[in-house]
Amino acid sequence: MMFQLDVLIENLFGILKVVPQTLLLAVIILILSLFMGGCLALIQRKKIPIISSLISVMQSFLRGTPNVVLLYLGYYTLPYIVQYIVSLVGIDFNPHHLHPVITVIVVFSISFSVFQSETIRGSMHSVDHGQIEAAHSLGYSFFQTLRKVVVPQALVEALPDIMNSFLVIIKVLSLAYLISVVDIFGQAKLLGAYNFSYIEAFVAAALVYWALCSFLTLLINKFELRLRKGF
Amino acid sequence: MDITFMLEILPQFLSVLPITLMIIVVSSLIGFLLSILVAAIRIKKVKLLNPLMGMYISFTRSTPILLQLFLIYYGLPVVLALMGIHINDINATTASIITLIIYNGAYMSEVIRPAYLAVERGQHEAADSLGFSSFKKLTRIIIPQVAPIALPGLGNAIIYLIHDTSLVFAIGVVDIMGFANIIISSNYGMNQIEIYLTIAIIYWMISMVSEQIIKYLEKRKQRLPYNGTVEEAA
Repeated sequence: MMFQLDVLIENLFGILKVVPQTLLLAVIILILSLFMGGCLALIQRKKIPIISSLISVMQSFLRGTPNVVLLYLGYYTLPYIVQYIVSLVGIDFNPHHLHPVITVIVVFSISFSVFQSETIRGSMHSVDHGQIEAAHSLGYSFFQTLRKVVVPQALVEALPDIMNSFLVIIKVLSLAYLISVVDIFGQAKLLGAYNFSYIEAFVAAALVYWALCSFLTLLINKFELRLRKGF
Repeated sequence: MDITFMLEILPQFLSVLPITLMIIVVSSLIGFLLSILVAAIRIKKVKLLNPLMGMYISFTRSTPILLQLFLIYYGLPVVLALMGIHINDINATTASIITLIIYNGAYMSEVIRPAYLAVERGQHEAADSLGFSSFKKLTRIIIPQVAPIALPGLGNAIIYLIHDTSLVFAIGVVDIMGFANIIISSNYGMNQIEIYLTIAIIYWMISMVSEQIIKYLEKRKQRLPYNGTVEEAA
């Protein structure tokens, strides 16, 4: 068994083809999880009695269980949940027709929303309360205050963490191959099986991941520096 | 939902739990020792080794743990063959422990290094001026101050490690997840929801217990330095 460089290069190009779709998937999950995390943070902040404690139990559950387990759980339950919800509207839906990509997006969005809500809560804390009072005294409504005063400031604070979670999502997507969604890692496995050259394929995938993450980290650092200068 | 089935399979899952726990304990302990070494190299800025460790950390942090598992499982025999050691196959459990040690060595060193650097320069100088030997300085002055800073990060690393052990089934270790596949296939692909729900609850419990232990340790550690040496030294 020898290491073949030409196979490695061939695999490298094969893997590069799936990078855009992996990134797209990661962006979708990031945005959805941010949205849900924001909602969670707002609910927790308002301290709505029963919902708040329900959410903290859910948070503890999502934080305590590995993503693989959640993914499998979602893979087997989600089709039936969707079928149930759709049947309420009166549409007949075959649970086996639910595409696994949907499962990946839903499961990871939910599991990451917990982490995002922590980030968002922390960053909202960093906004001085006087600013919110000032906005209220100027007659801003709740959502206006949120949009024009709190979010722009909190975003700068939260950005490094959000970008970090983006990198984490890219890495976590490697689990998607277990339910037959092809990302960078999944592609490497397919190519490895096709050429019967697992090592070359995995090394190629590792190089792609490494380059991608280094590039994104560099980008984030540059961007963050510019944002901080703005204030 | 079949609760009785869940209760029925729970003891079976608990019987494979020792494998998971063994992987967690071994890889966290050796990983911790490795991370001290890595952190020491980076703090002292040892020539040649320092940039190498930088690359090692950036590599392990930017590739998924699943990929690292497969890389070690398939790659290690080849690397060993190049060095003249011929083994046909590497045991999946060994491969996963090695992977997790390598991963944690990098991850924990990034916790320890900033914690060490957070200790003021003056503390080192004060200890030196009082004639502490370097070993005594480390054990009496530095470590009591580093520990409370590093502990939350190390706790997180342990929680992540617990989560990461759920991936070792991918290379064929029969841990909780691997056992789930066996049960599912012997059940003709039935009851998956109950099986994975049981696993989720087991992991939830493990995480909660370890979180409590870490919290307890943090409280104990916080009592030690600030009421003792540091306050007096300040």
